[in-house]
Amino acid sequence: MVEKVTIAIAKGRLGEKGVELFTNSELEIVREKKSRKLIFTDKNKEVKYIFVKPADVVTYVEKGVADLGIVGKDIILEENKDVYEILDLDFGKCNFVIAGFKNGSYKKKNQTLRIATKYTNYTQRVFENRNQKIEIIKLNGSVELAPLLDLSDVIVDIVETGKTLKDNGLEVLEKLDYVSARLIANKASYRFKYNIIKKIERILGVSE
Amino acid sequence: MRFTTIEEEIAVTKFKKGIEREIEGYFEEKGFNLIEPPIFQKYDKYMASNYRQDSSAIVKVLGGGSNILVLRPDITINVLGDIFSKWEGDYPLKIYYNSKVYYNGPESWVAANHQMGIESLGEDVLVGDTQALEMASIILGILKEPYILEIGYSKYLDGFFNEIQLSIDDENELKELISKKNRCELKDKVGKLALNNTLLDRILDIQGDIEDVVDMAAPFCINGEMKESIEQLEKIREFLVDKGYKENIKLDLSMIADYHYYDGLIFKGYSISSPKKILSGGRYDRLTEEFEMRVPAIGFMVDMDYITRIRIGGENGGKGYNSNS
Repeated sequence: MVEKVTIAIAKGRLGEKGVELFTNSELEIVREKKSRKLIFTDKNKEVKYIFVKPADVVTYVEKGVADLGIVGKDIILEENKDVYEILDLDFGKCNFVIAGFKNGSYKKKNQTLRIATKYTNYTQRVFENRNQKIEIIKLNGSVELAPLLDLSDVIVDIVETGKTLKDNGLEVLEKLDYVSARLIANKASYRFKYNIIKKIERILGVSE
Repeated sequence: MRFTTIEEEIAVTKFKKGIEREIEGYFEEKGFNLIEPPIFQKYDKYMASNYRQDSSAIVKVLGGGSNILVLRPDITINVLGDIFSKWEGDYPLKIYYNSKVYYNGPESWVAANHQMGIESLGEDVLVGDTQALEMASIILGILKEPYILEIGYSKYLDGFFNEIQLSIDDENELKELISKKNRCELKDKVGKLALNNTLLDRILDIQGDIEDVVDMAAPFCINGEMKESIEQLEKIREFLVDKGYKENIKLDLSMIADYHYYDGLIFKGYSISSPKKILSGGRYDRLTEEFEMRVPAIGFMVDMDYITRIRIGGENGGKGYNSNS
């Protein structure tokens, strides 16, 4: 029996790069151009590819709707779900950072540090044991605006080149976790579909 | 489980009760006796035995005299406190339970999970290990669909860590990466700690069919604890091969126990239509020391909510039971 596998891919730039990794492999995705469909397969229908919001990839995999997922480490850290993280896909590389105004202090005694971020769970964990009172302000984008408009003192975000920060007069105050695209797996699927998952690991490159 | 109609609730509950009776019958046939675990236990004592446990998931209750109690998040520890206050340890004690555990669920609500399981105390280690694996295989078999029993042996990796003596933070970080099967970050961390050319380079590959994996693991032994682990696994392998259970068993020596108190055989059962483990257990001799008596001890539990769902799915021609637990 041919094992079938479902891969959830984050919509957007990161996901597109993920799809490219399957190009010219036997599992290459078959897509009509400009289609707005969200489900595709390879030509032998061995793999089903589903395109979902980045933040939902981890949920799809944890709940077993998808066996595998391609998603950024930032989302994995934020969602903190019970999945295997089996491969670093070595693209989409960036860093979680704390950023703010140049020479700005983000260690405030007896004061609450206001932090704007998309990543509230992650930020909470970073500051957990730091003896620093914090207030987290959840934003959904353009986080760099927050310090400029005095909505926050600092931001926690992912930064690739630092250009957006620089253009807005901000700089990295502290480097946090390294982020890149990852292949994640549901724990039950990992056992039942071990062979095809290993095959996908080989196609995606970094299997040792 | 949540239901949309009362008819559905009655039908599902009746069906579930039937499965409970079937499993109870099997446990009793194997010489296990029913006990009812206490509902509360002391918070401090519970957390001391479970450092990997996420404390935010535990339901805390303020008891009389402002004692902090936990609403039973796990049955094993809870049952042991009760048993060791009465039992002298003079003969093997085999009990089973059919109870619920509680945790802080989504939407700020206390959620319950129905579990049935066994605890075998004072039994010879090999007899206990093989009986637990055999019973786990039989229980997974009643689901009438493909299953995999994933087994590990925590003393193997713990033996390695005891030999190399890292700080507790480094050890925990390595274990976390191993448990996530995070090969790349593990490699980085191993490099930073200058632990290349050790078991840690290969640990994520020491898994697969039990017949091969025991031999794959043997050359990495660097102390008695690891060697004993391999000897015990060889005996378990012989049993599983003789009894014909090996087809559904995968040995994974990179498995990290969910509970700190496991020391030796650990295992998890997966069934093909369930996204999560539906059975888990292991040996916890070390934990019994906390009750001032060291005896061999092993147990496992099955998740009755998942089991019911899988069985109903099977009856409906594999359509699955559409409900949230």
